[in-house]
Amino acid sequence: MRIAMVTPYPPSQGSLNEYAFHFIRFLRQKPEVSEIFILSDRLPDAATYPADTVAQPGLAPLHIVPCWRFGALDNALRIARTARALAPDMVLFNIQFASFGSSKPAAALGLLAPAMVRAAGLPAIVLLHNIMETVDLKSAGFGANPLVERLIRAFGAITTRVLLSADLLAVTIPRYVEILEHKYGATNVLLAPHGAFDEAPPPSFEPPPGPLQIMTFGKFGTYKKIEPLVAAFRLLLETRHDLELVIAGTDSPNAPGYLEGVRLANADLAGIRFTGYVAEEDVPRIFQDAGVVVFPYTSTTGSSGVLHQAGNYGRAVVLPRMGDLAELIAEEGYTGEFFEPDNPQSLAEALARLLDDPAQRRAMGTQNYLAACGLPMAEVVEWYILHAQNVLKIRNARRVARSRELVKR
Amino acid sequence: MDLNLSEHIVRTVVIAPSQRIDAFNAPELRAALDQQIEGGARRFVLDLTNVPFLDSAGMAVLVRLLKRARDQGGDVRLVWPTEEAARRIIRLTKFDRVFTMAETAAAALVDF
Repeated sequence: MRIAMVTPYPPSQGSLNEYAFHFIRFLRQKPEVSEIFILSDRLPDAATYPADTVAQPGLAPLHIVPCWRFGALDNALRIARTARALAPDMVLFNIQFASFGSSKPAAALGLLAPAMVRAAGLPAIVLLHNIMETVDLKSAGFGANPLVERLIRAFGAITTRVLLSADLLAVTIPRYVEILEHKYGATNVLLAPHGAFDEAPPPSFEPPPGPLQIMTFGKFGTYKKIEPLVAAFRLLLETRHDLELVIAGTDSPNAPGYLEGVRLANADLAGIRFTGYVAEEDVPRIFQDAGVVVFPYTSTTGSSGVLHQAGNYGRAVVLPRMGDLAELIAEEGYTGEFFEPDNPQSLAEALARLLDDPAQRRAMGTQNYLAACGLPMAEVVEWYILHAQNVLKIRNARRVARSRELVKR
Repeated sequence: MDLNLSEHIVRTVVIAPSQRIDAFNAPELRAALDQQIEGGARRFVLDLTNVPFLDSAGMAVLVRLLKRARDQGGDVRLVWPTEEAARRIIRLTKFDRVFTMAETAAAALVDF
């Protein structure tokens, strides 16, 4: 099977680039896959992607085709045109609502791509990492004006219907399947869990000696805001001095300059460290060094890759008590300590409960490790291949039936 | 008249777990199924009638069995669980469209 995948891909900093990196790493190893094309975004400053890799024993050849640009209005057209020229057997999309731009027109127009690919006669499977129905628009800053909120929701519903025109639409959380089935009457939505990036050996559940690290990881500035975490850290420093706060990652492409602003505003604070971009080879160390991993989210956004990584490395986690997040992570077998969103006092208390209780940290890390091991991404990729084969089988059967019908006439 | 009679006996393994299949005990089921595959079994009926709960890690074990069995020229039939908590994950993952499903183990065996 020749597969094209529409996604940001490292060194692109676009969201979901890391998910794509691991997904493709495993996809290349599958004997059913003969060739992979990554339809990625163009890199800024004339930077280039690594050269194509040829077939190696046990690895499908990989071609990176930069054909769209974050923020452009004609991305769907460019993607459909490129996909048609490559003529793969299946086009996969690894996207979320803001994958194609930070402005609403660019984001919405880009999401027409799966429908246009299908219109070009190619089968398409969309992995949608968030759904509009669970985005907390108030937290995202659109709640003040009810009319604006209603308009955004209406456009979100239209966009979702367009996305549902794909052969299959996969989401990572069980509840999302049910929401889309009930609201849109969809029959082509399926659950494809996130999966753990690495089958890591049993980790050490103990942090290394030295100051205990409170770590947060990701792309910050939109729905991941670190101000309450920094404020909670200040509260903790009033009673203890053996702590370090590590902000690992970069600005979200939709919030350039965000982290630098927070850093300048807290220049007086000792014990806070901004790592900047974390290269793939440094990710294990970042997690292994952490005593606790914090998720300073202001809205729920689907299954968290960072949660799966924290699980992989056997870390205890602190999450916001928001929507049905607690239930959602429990459905995946994870557990965490919870705090009230945007409440530094509550976050400091949640952190203190774990910092003061090494046994609880170990127990939580162990459960999260077992949950992460439950479904490695290598197997999730297998799920996609089985569903893709099913889609192709159905399409072929329809084609044969149509041909017979024509012969009869 | 020369009648060249031969008999083909095709082995089908029926497995009927009766406990929940989740991230914590899925490895045990996985090991048991791997052992069957390595022992030469190719056709399986997984009777989930009495499984009270199945999560995505449990589902992964069933999918892996399907993949391995098909790679060897075999196949897997699933029997629907009676408990909604176990049926839910099969429906959500749409694997009821990938596996051949049956209501009873007897029906699944006939279907092979």
